Amino acid sequence: MNFEEILAHHIINRYSSNLYVHGINFGLSSHLITMWIVAGLVALLMIYAARSSSAAGRVLRGGVEAIVIYMRDDMLHPIFHEDAEAYLPYFLTLFFFIFAANLVGLVPRASAVMSNPNVTGGLALCTFALIHLAGCKAQGPIQYLKHIVPPGLPLLLVPLLFVIEFLGIVAKCLALCIRLFANILSGHVVSLAFLSLIFIFAQMSRPVGLLVSPMAVGLALFAYLLDVLVAVLQAYIFTILTAVFVGGAVHPH
Amino acid sequence: MNRLLDPDTGMIIWTIVTFLALVLVLKLSAWGPLLRAIAERDSRIKANVDAAEAARAAAEQVRADLDVQMAGLSAKGRELLAQAQKEAEALRIRLRASAEADSASLRQKTMQDLAAEKDRLVGELRKEVAGLSVLAAEKLIRKSIDAGVQKSVLEDFYRDLDARKAAN
Repeated sequence: MNFEEILAHHIINRYSSNLYVHGINFGLSSHLITMWIVAGLVALLMIYAARSSSAAGRVLRGGVEAIVIYMRDDMLHPIFHEDAEAYLPYFLTLFFFIFAANLVGLVPRASAVMSNPNVTGGLALCTFALIHLAGCKAQGPIQYLKHIVPPGLPLLLVPLLFVIEFLGIVAKCLALCIRLFANILSGHVVSLAFLSLIFIFAQMSRPVGLLVSPMAVGLALFAYLLDVLVAVLQAYIFTILTAVFVGGAVHPH
Repeated sequence: MNRLLDPDTGMIIWTIVTFLALVLVLKLSAWGPLLRAIAERDSRIKANVDAAEAARAAAEQVRADLDVQMAGLSAKGRELLAQAQKEAEALRIRLRASAEADSASLRQKTMQDLAAEKDRLVGELRKEVAGLSVLAAEKLIRKSIDAGVQKSVLEDFYRDLDARKAAN
């Protein structure tokens, strides 16, 4: 088993059953099951935080409230102004879903859902849809389409600029998708690479492998701790960039 | 590893469905109550802050009123003090004048009494001297003089004495 196979074994989504509908496989897979577990976990924890009056519930509620107030006042209000409350549930769910999925991905034997580009692509598609829906809702469909192109251009350039601006929005969403999956994937690849050093050196010489192992484990642990930071950072970045893109569509100037 | 980047439409759709379902569930059962609780707390805090501001403004007003009253009282106090000092000075002058008048009157009365006493004593002395003179003259001439002559001699003597005194 080479390094590529080890990586593939740990990272790639594996289907346990297939369910084809119009040629699309809706079967159960490791990433899908983990995603549902993450979604269930987030739902349970947030409902518990919102409704429980126990001591643990109050502690959890205090932590969640701090994030909610920060997102409302410091992240969404400067972008959406008085509409911030309307968008808050979407962005809170987005943040906690990505954050929880990233953390669950760090648990040994669990799948890193956000290292799957199809999952981050799904979230980026939601962002793409939200950009246009929010823009149409705020300005009206005609005005929104007119505002995609900057005003004051010669008429001949308008179709060209429309295509370029539209592709710009697509590129932003694509960048969201790639940034999240690449960051999470790279964290796991680095940890795995450090641990594989032990076996690579042990194949050359067993004493050297033993000598390298504490250093490799230390580095892997460091990369793992870095992944915890990346987990919250990437959730934050995906959320705030989505807010900025949607805000750009809601307030074109 | 090439499978890592394979598009998986089923997974994309599942992700969208799962995420939107989560948004819906959390909006209804978690974010709604949580945001309502936060809004209630915010409004409660705002009401408390407003009440505190109003109380502070009222306290400031009371303090300003008290300052004004204190300034008024202070001025009135100074005025009363000045008036009291003025009255005390007037009283002092009046009492002094009265005391001086009493003293002058007492001195005058004393002088009068002294003069009267002196006159009385002088009169008595005159009588005594006259009696002694007559007695001496009687003894000298061994002859008694009747009361009418004695009186006439004494009156002459006093007249001479007063004339001599007036001459001096």
